[in-house]
Amino acid sequence: MHEIRIGEDLREKNEAIADENRKLLSAKRIVSINVMSAPGAGKTSLLLRTIPLLKGRHAVGVIEGDIQTTSDAKKIAVLGVPVYQIETGGVCHLDAAMVHSALHQLDLDSIDLLFVENVGNLVCPAEFDLGEDARIMLLSVSEGDDKPKKYPLMFRESRVLLLNKIDLVPYVAFDIEKARRESLEINPKLDIIEISCTTGAGLDRWVSWIDAFVESARRR
Amino acid sequence: MHETSLMKNLLAIVDRAAGVEGNGPVRVVHLRIGEMAGVSEDALRFAFDVMAKGTAAEGASLDVEKVPLQIRCAACGANSNPSDFVFICPACGSCDIEILAGREMEVDYILVGDRATESEDSGA
Repeated sequence: MHEIRIGEDLREKNEAIADENRKLLSAKRIVSINVMSAPGAGKTSLLLRTIPLLKGRHAVGVIEGDIQTTSDAKKIAVLGVPVYQIETGGVCHLDAAMVHSALHQLDLDSIDLLFVENVGNLVCPAEFDLGEDARIMLLSVSEGDDKPKKYPLMFRESRVLLLNKIDLVPYVAFDIEKARRESLEINPKLDIIEISCTTGAGLDRWVSWIDAFVESARRR
Repeated sequence: MHETSLMKNLLAIVDRAAGVEGNGPVRVVHLRIGEMAGVSEDALRFAFDVMAKGTAAEGASLDVEKVPLQIRCAACGANSNPSDFVFICPACGSCDIEILAGREMEVDYILVGDRATESEDSGA
């Protein structure tokens, strides 16, 4: 027997397509945000609450990712913004190739801010670069305060952690200080914002973050 | 479960490497998986068993080497192995941390050749 050295990463193919996406989005002057979380943490609700608050300042487009169903895209379409639904057909995350196809289905000249709602999953989406400008994540308080240390990669990869369903804190055993501390140990640069998509609490801070981020991304 | 899509990439990499060299059957595929890579070894092994059939990797064994997390502090230059995913420099307390190792998910090498050579190797 003899050895053949390879040293090739299993994600290299995805990285190459992610770079294509980055070039395309940059050429169209579109800022993109990849929204990640476990199922049910409130990604779609977040977009439904956020998009109306951005009206007049940003021309929003949305790519929805789900294993099955197009119901999320239908909810977003009610807001009157361009939306394209990816059905991954069993795959637990979006990859750069899926997003690449979706980008060709959207009118990229009509938008300048793109949200990509990833498949609900706290592990896999964090491994797949889509060519986005920023990754953000939600953790809802009903999921438990032990999640940062259990799923460190997504916390490490995200710029913003939205602690969602903050209105439920009185009813669940969720130690906000512990979740904050352990999230910051993994990623000291993480911006943590407490929100509720039900009451609207904290959404102003989240929208300010978006405005500031879009401005800084455009200046690059 | 994204191990099936990763496995497709793995098998394509092995096919390409084994085909170019033309050195007989692939016996071992050696993978390096980082401590912080979002991948399950069990799911990878399952995907390998199911998907390797009909590829150059059919019949090969899958070796998985775990790579511990290693970080470097950009402020003071100290290297360390963090425990419990604490990305704060133990030497100076800085949060400006670069990950040196622990995110790997790569085919390091493959072993190819017939079994006769294999017994020579193991006897040596």
